[in-house]
Amino acid sequence: MVSQLTPGERIAALITLILLAVIGLFMAAAGRADPLGAHGFVVLLSSTGLIFLLLSKSNGTPPDPARLLQYYDDPTKLGIILSMIWAVFGLFIGVWVASLLAWPDLTFDAAWASFGRLRPVHTTSVIFGFGGNALIATSLHVLQRTSRARLPEQFSPWFVLLGYNLFCILAVSGYFLGVTQSKEYAEAEWYADIWLVIVWVVYFGIYIRTLARRQEPHIYVANWYYMAFILVVAMLHIVNNLAIPVSMGHAKSYSAFSGVQDAMTQWWYGHNAVAFFLTAGFLGMMYYYLPKRAERPIFSYRLSIISFWGITFMYMWAGSHHLHYTALPHWVQTLGMSFSIVLLVPSWASAGNALATLNGAWHRVRDDATLRFMMVAAVFYGLTTFEGSFMAIRPVNSLSHYTDWTIGHVHAGALGWVAMITFGTFYCLVPWMWKQERIYSPKLVEWHFWLALSGTIVYVFAMWNSGIIQGLMWRTYNESGTLTYSFLESLVAMEPYYIARAFGGFLFLAGAVVGSYNIWMTIRMARGVPATPMDDLPVSRLAPEAGE
Amino acid sequence: MSELHRKLERSAVGFVVAIIFMASIGGLVEIAPLFTIDETVEDAPDMRVYTPLELAGRNIYIREGCYACHSQMIRTLQDEVERYGPYSLAVESQYDHPMLWGSKRTGPDLARLGGKYSDAWHVAHLINPRDVVPESVMPKYGWLQRNDLRIDDLGAHLSAMKAVGVPYSDEMIANATNDAFGQTLPDSDFAEGVSERYGEETNIREFDGDTSRVTEMDALVAYLQILGRLTDAAYQQAAGNQSSQDQQAQSQQAQSQPLGSTAK
Amino acid sequence: MIADHETLVAIAKSWGLFYLIAMSIGVLLYAFWPRNRKRFEKAKMSILEKDDRPWH
Repeated sequence: MVSQLTPGERIAALITLILLAVIGLFMAAAGRADPLGAHGFVVLLSSTGLIFLLLSKSNGTPPDPARLLQYYDDPTKLGIILSMIWAVFGLFIGVWVASLLAWPDLTFDAAWASFGRLRPVHTTSVIFGFGGNALIATSLHVLQRTSRARLPEQFSPWFVLLGYNLFCILAVSGYFLGVTQSKEYAEAEWYADIWLVIVWVVYFGIYIRTLARRQEPHIYVANWYYMAFILVVAMLHIVNNLAIPVSMGHAKSYSAFSGVQDAMTQWWYGHNAVAFFLTAGFLGMMYYYLPKRAERPIFSYRLSIISFWGITFMYMWAGSHHLHYTALPHWVQTLGMSFSIVLLVPSWASAGNALATLNGAWHRVRDDATLRFMMVAAVFYGLTTFEGSFMAIRPVNSLSHYTDWTIGHVHAGALGWVAMITFGTFYCLVPWMWKQERIYSPKLVEWHFWLALSGTIVYVFAMWNSGIIQGLMWRTYNESGTLTYSFLESLVAMEPYYIARAFGGFLFLAGAVVGSYNIWMTIRMARGVPATPMDDLPVSRLAPEAGE
Repeated sequence: MSELHRKLERSAVGFVVAIIFMASIGGLVEIAPLFTIDETVEDAPDMRVYTPLELAGRNIYIREGCYACHSQMIRTLQDEVERYGPYSLAVESQYDHPMLWGSKRTGPDLARLGGKYSDAWHVAHLINPRDVVPESVMPKYGWLQRNDLRIDDLGAHLSAMKAVGVPYSDEMIANATNDAFGQTLPDSDFAEGVSERYGEETNIREFDGDTSRVTEMDALVAYLQILGRLTDAAYQQAAGNQSSQDQQAQSQQAQSQPLGSTAK
Repeated sequence: MIADHETLVAIAKSWGLFYLIAMSIGVLLYAFWPRNRKRFEKAKMSILEKDDRPWH
């Protein structure tokens, strides 16, 4: 990590870290009567820890100039490892939080362990920790390969990766402490939000500067998706998080918007976080790694362009379908519903494009669990987007909204699409990155695949059942014209499904643990044995791989 | 056309502009009119702001993530109106920074919770929900009773709320800490100021039954008891709708007939 | 605000549609423009090349 930095970059890193340590100190002092103080210490400790690392590893020798003949993959490697750590942590919390609904006393009477605090820990760890690190890691890899250019320098990728993880830690530790904005998927408070903006600007800078250095005249479509992910997430994040802090010594802030405007802004954000974080970013991943693994070009490049602009344009309109039958004006609801339905066209174009790419390589899908991960991901993407459009129709939404059906839908997308495409990608990428011929154990990949698939199916079916039963019970009238079921009766009816859901989640978690072990052993393999020459890699490594 | 696009795309900057342009339109179109619209937010001259204690309680509601399982938004559907009360109006959350409409009902909707149960019921329910409702899956919140509420900084909270547009007066801000104290200690000298500033109807009680100190339980119960009670607008509108929709209500056949769609 | 509500809603409702149509035509033109075919073919194949170094 450090040995690859030029002397100038080491100084830049040192200055940045000292600055950050000072900010941490200031936060700790100003917020001493508030959870903000604890976060000040988190910032202070992580920056001084990195300063120590930097100084102890800096030996004054500049890095080998021959490194410039290679792509810069160290941040990608660390990103993969961090992503898997967040996955296991986030999924574990997910299983816990699911179990709380069946066995509510699993909180052990501790404030931090109650459902309301653990839920954002789960969502943030899996979406931002697991998903975000996977996107950063893969985007830097894809960016360099498709541009045929090395990253412009070595400092900013580390800033982005480590800074992003600092954001995730601040967010997640904050929820345990009760620091939250209550905006779903944007719970982190103002100072963490500001920090994320800085990190994001640097991330965008890396993209733009590398693209400017590209040797290929055309920007490959995967980069379009990654770019849309970076840009639109920045837009959404800034607008939705506009708030005024109580004081510089308080973690708490008050949203700039209220009531109906706040609801619209929040779901404009919430919906498009799904669109541009969990869809566009991972489509970028799919458009590069799926053809690569299948060793076949994407079925239709034109179709990928058309669906790109379709998604970029239309998703933005669809957010209001989260607010059907609420105090939101009727025409805004209708607009959201219409666009949600039209959105199915570019979504299915992408899913179809992926599956058509595999057409003619089905034998490989059968034999190769990695490719199967990607294939199943594309299928789930298609299913989930169909379900999403369906649920956005007002009468359907009147049944599904507020119920577990929504949770089932989200997890069909998150487990079936996002996590599956990521695992498939990692199983391609890890051997490439650590210069191995193959993953440590293909058999364990097979295990992971079946655990993940069965976990997802158990989960989604449990939630479909519970959601639809719930929705129907709430609206059932008896012959005398009164509501048949009390709310409590609908809750009692959920219990078997909540247990099944926790079990499905457990299977998925078990799969992720198996996957992490497999990836870790592949990395260990790389340390033990000298790199094996491969046709697509240089025979000898010119620069020493250090740091991760 | 093609040449233009090619140029845009070759220089990555043009491409960036194109993405921002494409993506921002939908948001602008949907959100911008909501800021000019007066009709989205009905008139409610009787609407009052949260007292400092209720605001503190609301912040505890946020801190504990109650919104993850409880919505505060009754939709314009017949079964919801019958189960929970008149459907929610935009005006009712006009001082809610942020709104807490929620997206999931693991527990019931709370938009009209205020006044439905006694303070003692709420305290017992929060300490152990299963003492009161054996089938409940809600977590226990016993520590709320043990924790003192931080009230010294409530003035700063009110100023921040004022900065985002809630009409708190300077007097309210200056007396925030005392008012929080007074609202839960009806016999103290501070109690009078609360009803002066926030209206005669304000609940001034020892919410958690403990007069010796102000706890987080006091604040949360004070907030829960005001839910849906900041204005009568929703009840008035419901009364208005009722006469015109009496016939419709008689037939009662539809399970989820949109109410109020005529009113919109 | 300067603009009144009715105007904004009218703009949102009408121009949004025109914008959608224009956008679709633009994207389709770009995707099917005959001269672009070669570039797309090349891009499609280029990621499969087994060459893992930056070009200089």
